[in-house]
Amino acid sequence: MKKLFSNKNKILAGCFLLVISTLVSCKKLLQIPPNSPTAITRAEQFSDSASAISAVAGVYTYNYNPGFAFSDANLTITTALSAQEISSTESYGDEAEFYSYTVLPINTEVVTLWQYPYQSLYQVNDVLSAITNNPNLSASFIKQITGEMEVTRALYYFNLVNLFGGVPLVTSIDYSTNAQLPRASVSAVYAQILADLSDARKKLPASYPSAGTDRPNLYTAIALLAKVHLYQKNWQAAYTEADSIIRSGIYSLEPNLSNVFLDGSVESIWQLPVASTYQGTAEASNFVPYSSTQIPNYVVTDSLLNQFETGDQRLTNWLGVSVVGNQNVYYPYKYKDKQPTSPATDFMVFRLGEIYLIRAEAAAELNNLSGALADVNTIRARAGLGASTANAASQSAVLAAVAKERRTELCFEWGNRWFDLNRTGKAANALPGYQGYNALYPVPQAQIQLNTHLIQNPGYH
Amino acid sequence: MYGRVVDTLGQPLIGATVSISIKGYAYAYVMTTDNKGEFHFNNLPQERYTLVVTYVGYNKLEKTVNFNGKDLLLVVVLHNSSSALDQIQVIAYGTESKRFSIGSVSGVTAEQIEKQPVTNPLLALEGLAPGLAITAMNGVPGSTVLVQVRGQSSLGANSLGQKPYDQPLFIIDGVPSATQNTNISQLSNLALAQEFSGGISQSTGLSPFNDINPNDIESITILKDADATSIYGSQGANGVVLITTKRGKPGKTTFELNLNSQFNEVAKPVQLLNTQQYLQLRKDAFAADGLTPDNNPNDYSGAFAPDLTIYDQNKYTNWQKVIQGNSTNNTDLHASVSGGTPNSTFIVSGGYTRSGYNYPGDFADQRYTLHSALHNTSTDKRFTLDLVTDYGYDQNNSAGFGGSQGVVLPPNTPDLIGPDGNLIWDYKGVPLNVQNFYASLLQTSDLSTFNFNSSLNLSYQILKGLSIGTSVGYSRNNTTEHSIDPSTAQDPSYVNINASFANNSAQTINIEPQINYSKTFDKGVLTVLLGTTYKKNTTDASQTEGYGYANDNFLGSIDGAATTYPYDNIGITKYIATFGRLKYVYDQKYIVEFSGRKDGSSNFGPGRQFGTFGSVGAGWIFSEERAFKDALPFFSYGKLSGNYGTTGSDASKAYSYQAEYETLSYVPAFQGIRQSYPVNLYNPDFGWATKKELNLALDFGFFNNRLLLNATYYRDREGDELVDYPLAAQAGFATVYGNLNATVQNKGWEFTAISTNIKSKDFIWTTNFNLSFNRNKLISFPNLAASPYAEQYIIGQPTSIIIGYRYKDVNPTTGLFEFYDKNGNVTSNPNYGTAASGGDEVAIGNREINYMGGFGNTFTYKHFSLYVFCQFSSGEQPNYLSAIYSNNFPGGMTNEPEAILGKYWTAPGDHATLQRLAASYNSSSINSLGDFVQSNGALSNDTYLRVKTAALSYALPGDFLKKVHVQGASIYVNAQNLFTITNYKVGDPEQPGSFTSFPLQRIVAFGLSLKF
Repeated sequence: MKKLFSNKNKILAGCFLLVISTLVSCKKLLQIPPNSPTAITRAEQFSDSASAISAVAGVYTYNYNPGFAFSDANLTITTALSAQEISSTESYGDEAEFYSYTVLPINTEVVTLWQYPYQSLYQVNDVLSAITNNPNLSASFIKQITGEMEVTRALYYFNLVNLFGGVPLVTSIDYSTNAQLPRASVSAVYAQILADLSDARKKLPASYPSAGTDRPNLYTAIALLAKVHLYQKNWQAAYTEADSIIRSGIYSLEPNLSNVFLDGSVESIWQLPVASTYQGTAEASNFVPYSSTQIPNYVVTDSLLNQFETGDQRLTNWLGVSVVGNQNVYYPYKYKDKQPTSPATDFMVFRLGEIYLIRAEAAAELNNLSGALADVNTIRARAGLGASTANAASQSAVLAAVAKERRTELCFEWGNRWFDLNRTGKAANALPGYQGYNALYPVPQAQIQLNTHLIQNPGYH
Repeated sequence: MYGRVVDTLGQPLIGATVSISIKGYAYAYVMTTDNKGEFHFNNLPQERYTLVVTYVGYNKLEKTVNFNGKDLLLVVVLHNSSSALDQIQVIAYGTESKRFSIGSVSGVTAEQIEKQPVTNPLLALEGLAPGLAITAMNGVPGSTVLVQVRGQSSLGANSLGQKPYDQPLFIIDGVPSATQNTNISQLSNLALAQEFSGGISQSTGLSPFNDINPNDIESITILKDADATSIYGSQGANGVVLITTKRGKPGKTTFELNLNSQFNEVAKPVQLLNTQQYLQLRKDAFAADGLTPDNNPNDYSGAFAPDLTIYDQNKYTNWQKVIQGNSTNNTDLHASVSGGTPNSTFIVSGGYTRSGYNYPGDFADQRYTLHSALHNTSTDKRFTLDLVTDYGYDQNNSAGFGGSQGVVLPPNTPDLIGPDGNLIWDYKGVPLNVQNFYASLLQTSDLSTFNFNSSLNLSYQILKGLSIGTSVGYSRNNTTEHSIDPSTAQDPSYVNINASFANNSAQTINIEPQINYSKTFDKGVLTVLLGTTYKKNTTDASQTEGYGYANDNFLGSIDGAATTYPYDNIGITKYIATFGRLKYVYDQKYIVEFSGRKDGSSNFGPGRQFGTFGSVGAGWIFSEERAFKDALPFFSYGKLSGNYGTTGSDASKAYSYQAEYETLSYVPAFQGIRQSYPVNLYNPDFGWATKKELNLALDFGFFNNRLLLNATYYRDREGDELVDYPLAAQAGFATVYGNLNATVQNKGWEFTAISTNIKSKDFIWTTNFNLSFNRNKLISFPNLAASPYAEQYIIGQPTSIIIGYRYKDVNPTTGLFEFYDKNGNVTSNPNYGTAASGGDEVAIGNREINYMGGFGNTFTYKHFSLYVFCQFSSGEQPNYLSAIYSNNFPGGMTNEPEAILGKYWTAPGDHATLQRLAASYNSSSINSLGDFVQSNGALSNDTYLRVKTAALSYALPGDFLKKVHVQGASIYVNAQNLFTITNYKVGDPEQPGSFTSFPLQRIVAFGLSLKF
């Protein structure tokens, strides 16, 4: 009889055991470092406040995608074109479509106006979901950052809803549901904005969490709240919120108009640092020509120029002039830093000047006409102008004076003129070529292909 | 009984197996020849013996010997095996003969490679192996070459809509190449700058395989089906290419020298218009637009035409000749020394290759290689050691960009460079507004690649038939790059002196302990392989751009830059696996084989790391059946085989399974805090893509295997594709990485024939032929219409489907291109988008290769040998009109091929091929040009037969050589891309739709090889 375990079989069995044992130990061999040196896990990113704050800083990155939405001058330019504050010196192309109200759903500017905010929203939502109930972070840190992110999220949705109407309301990071969400109603978007802001005002202190006004505080939340109420025609609420900011005493109007958009502006409620080593603001690099004889990319329209009264310091401080041939051509010059400057130019999100005009408009609507004119005159005085000559007894005249002041004070800033015309129903009269459906930009064609639940705005196909 | 075994040249064959046996007895005396090729059997009984002598690669010799007890001295001459059937081919973790193989394996030999004067070994494979598609991206020395086995399986198009291109796994001497077949250059260079629309939208660049000298390659094996590739598990789905380098052979130390000088020129030049023809075309275009050309640079109406109003009307520069019309002189030098004893062999070889650019300026690709291989067997034959090392150093310097647009400069363009060598940017005060081609000569890009590949194999025989061993492999590729943009190359109106620096390294460590067991039973032979793998692959790429240099002379260092932008990217992947193969051959007739692999990869998330792949196959050599032998005696071989199994596709990148944050490096920190941002959406649940492969083959041998035929049918289906799945922007990211539940099928037929047509003393004629058909189809894709791929793929159609407009013709009245809209109505302005989304785009074609193949004939007459190899391919490709209308248009300020003359519409009633001319982008006829490029009017059948290789050699007579103490010498002429028969108009059929790109080269090499 053969031996069952001959030497040979023993060796064979040993060899197989060797292979099996290698397999057993293999899970260890498969281990790689928990992350590559160029990327860390989300859990690691939020493992302590020093690291988590770097993700928050990522939310505030100026003119970068992903980063702070709408800081790439795209919103400024497209809405200024649509409001006919400026015209493009190129007669064709995607930007010209905004001036002529022929924006197509494949317009590349519309694509970025839609896409970039959602990338920024993901950052905000990710920070919120990562810090909520995170045991590695202090309660005060979580409270502060939650408030800041809520203000930021509200700001993004506020602009999205005014650019496009109801948009998909994304407040989480789960792509499997988010990617196919349909458009929410306008009121649902505003409800979210108000929910975020009312929570933020509970969480944020009046003091700024870091140097300057680079991150939101309580009054930043209130500033956006005032603007939302104004747009929602909640005049009393708009008045109260704007009033509380002015009365806080933290802010004052910058006496020198040239300093309004610089770092450290006493007027700033929220401004983002633009500390680039090689270029200035996106606004300046788009608007300011290389030489004083060069045709600027965008020219201020006569209709806006005519709004500046004689002696208006804003004309000389906030508009630049290029001499082309024998002609003076004006261009937006609130941001002057084509190259980095010192003190640095910061990107303004909210400033006291706008708050005065929110309070003025709310007051006028509430028939507090003298209060309204007082605010208008505060702004005018800073611009070197005398008191408004509007009939102080006529509500419509005072409202017109407020609107005119908003137009000259807030030109080329955050789409104010474009949104004002649309929310007050005055666009059709003010803008040649404008039709009702132009109030909203089209949803990008590609987005409708990617998410068939999205429905295009009326008038576009 | 004494004897000596020699080859036909009289050289002793060391290590040949000699056996003698007596008929009717199972027992045989067996021994191997010593280092003089001699054998001796002592004290043999007087008997009538059957002597059998075998040696790998030589025909088996069998003869009857009458041994009468006295000393007998035999001289046995073995002939090189003429039958491919018994040649040993390299397979996964071993070798086998084709006779008993049941997997689909194609081999290319050193002989086939060395006759081709190419520097990249991948180029030498074109047309030689069925089912293997080789695509030369362009004619730039060192540029990438795409390789695909049996069609495209993966779907994951990137955000630009570029479809992927599957490439096989590359293994060099048992070590998975660290770079695989990817572009190794990061900075712009002439290879990267070439556009390639040849059916595949892949980026070009420089090839890591350029570091391997084709002269050092012994064989390249292509593994195609599950039987051959399942053992590679997660990495075998796209096939495997095994490159085996040369080993030393026992015998006298031999010194070989091979030297050749090559001449290159454009393989298929395109004739462009001369000045008179060009100016007439421009004038006709202005007439068609109703415009008068003027000389005002500020006139943006389209009427500004410096070529008609300012430039010299008689100046003629043939830019194509200036840029691509040169002939370069290349040098290839290769020397080796090899030899050894039966127990110990060695080879050391060195090579130098210089390939000049067919482009102005002093640019070249220079390669230095050092190859060595050592083999040792212990005296008791139990322990063997093999060490193979390859070192390659390649220097490629080129222009940073250029070519394409320079070729089509107006032929009367003023001088762009002055006699002082300075570039000229205006003419008579008017800016030239052209890409100054000469600037590219100053914007140099230098690349150095260091490639190291080493493998160590140790094996110890524990018992008869059982050996354990391990192979340890190390592969590393280091690439450094430097490109400059000096002030002398820039328009003086805006100068920013800048330079870029880049480093790129890839490394693989591969350790594979193995057990081999073989046992011969009564009539059966069992072989078992069991092994494990540990593999670690790391990549590290970094790049720094420096701007704002004060002086051109600082450009060699990053220190002189005012502003720098650094970037890096680091990757790591580990694999562990257990694999095995069991093969049983019974009675030389019946074959069964199982192979499999349990594979783990660190690219997958917890719980998803391991996958199991396997195959089962069987073969029946029916020609060994007595009934068959009796009935069909002219059949010398017949085999039916089949196999079925699975392979996988790995995730392409590490860490994708976890949500990650990266830091922003380009922007200033926010209040001193370095910003981080999320880089991906969280999806931990993706796993392997799995391919199910079926392969059936029928092999025949006739006339003592002088004619061998093979027909193979295969059907591969890949599912669970791993893709960057596009999402609506509201999800926060454009894509998420995961499995897609779609199935892609590739099925096809492959045929090969190998024949020795004539074999006489002085004249031998052999033929090789192969032909393959692959049919690609998207079989299923749940919810395709609602997916982001709705505009890219159609169920039931090939994955390379082209969606566009249906072209009608040129309207004789309006002179515009016309198309059919989705309802079949004629329009000159079709709507963007597929029919489903309201547009007029439908499936108009695909870029599959309908059929491809090659055939080679070798004629040997006495000392002369002639090898002619033709390669052919057929498919639908972008035609030259696609190239003309993609970037420019006839009548605009760019030159055009002469072929368009007489083809464009001029007056109502014309039935023309091309629409009316346009003078500028403001022309009213411009819109339909863009539509035309997206229509099937821009596609044509592209069928060609190319004389890929023609090699003539003459071996100097031995008598003469003996006098000068030379063992062997031959002189030869080798030619590549000699001439082409094609229906493809204008340009090279292998570079469809891009006739201005750096052209493929015709190479003629004159050489000498010596053996001492």
